[in-house]
Amino acid sequence: MQKHYVCPLESLLRFRFNNSLERFLRTIFMWIGIGIVALAVIVYAALSIMAGSPKDALLMVRYAFPHMRSGNLKVGAPAPDGRLTALNGTDHFQIRQRINGKPLVLIFGSFT
Amino acid sequence: MQIFGDYKDHADFLTVYVREAHPTDEWQMKSNVKEDVCYIQPKTMDQRLAIANDFVKRFSFPVPFGVDDMSNAVNDLYAAWPERLYIVDEKGQIAYRGGMGPFKYNPKEVRDWLAAKYGEVKHPETKSAAENATKQQPQPVNSSK
Repeated sequence: MQKHYVCPLESLLRFRFNNSLERFLRTIFMWIGIGIVALAVIVYAALSIMAGSPKDALLMVRYAFPHMRSGNLKVGAPAPDGRLTALNGTDHFQIRQRINGKPLVLIFGSFT
Repeated sequence: MQIFGDYKDHADFLTVYVREAHPTDEWQMKSNVKEDVCYIQPKTMDQRLAIANDFVKRFSFPVPFGVDDMSNAVNDLYAAWPERLYIVDEKGQIAYRGGMGPFKYNPKEVRDWLAAKYGEVKHPETKSAAENATKQQPQPVNSSK
């Protein structure tokens, strides 16, 4: 049988390369982890300030963000029409029915 | 409200009630508890209408009112939640598109738009406040005397 010869110098270099690569990757992953955690803390702190408290930040993410839309209506575009119910609950009307030769100011909102 | 009073002869106004922003079963605000504005998120049209009627009665709200249906169709068309302002011109085109509330909800922009078209409406209290501010300012000293 032919004996496989390994140069001692090559063996030493391979060991050092593997060892330094492992350390390099470990450092990279550690800093990526630290970066992600730091970013999460910063975002959460910013949301807490914006919402009023850490608890409010969680509730905002859970309940407000899914409904927030910037929308794609542009100035100059035709106003979308939609059906609304009058306060008596029985009458209905279209938004466009309220455009009668004057500008129409639309105020969207809720009680809370 | 004041904008409505000032420009109701020149423009029509319509309030559109959309889904609640801070109901008790979602993200309730302390300020709502303080002001006793506590409602669950309506699950039926009757519940939504009841809240809308409470609002109108509580504030004697004079602006014409319409309620979005439970599919939130109008809200989706206008990306209106939680609050937003639009102006539709006489031709039925969007003339002004306000930012998404509450941070970019700016009634002053609506007032400015209406003022640019129909003229500014001044209020006596605003005028007197401005006069008081002018009176309090130091008068220039005439060096020739």
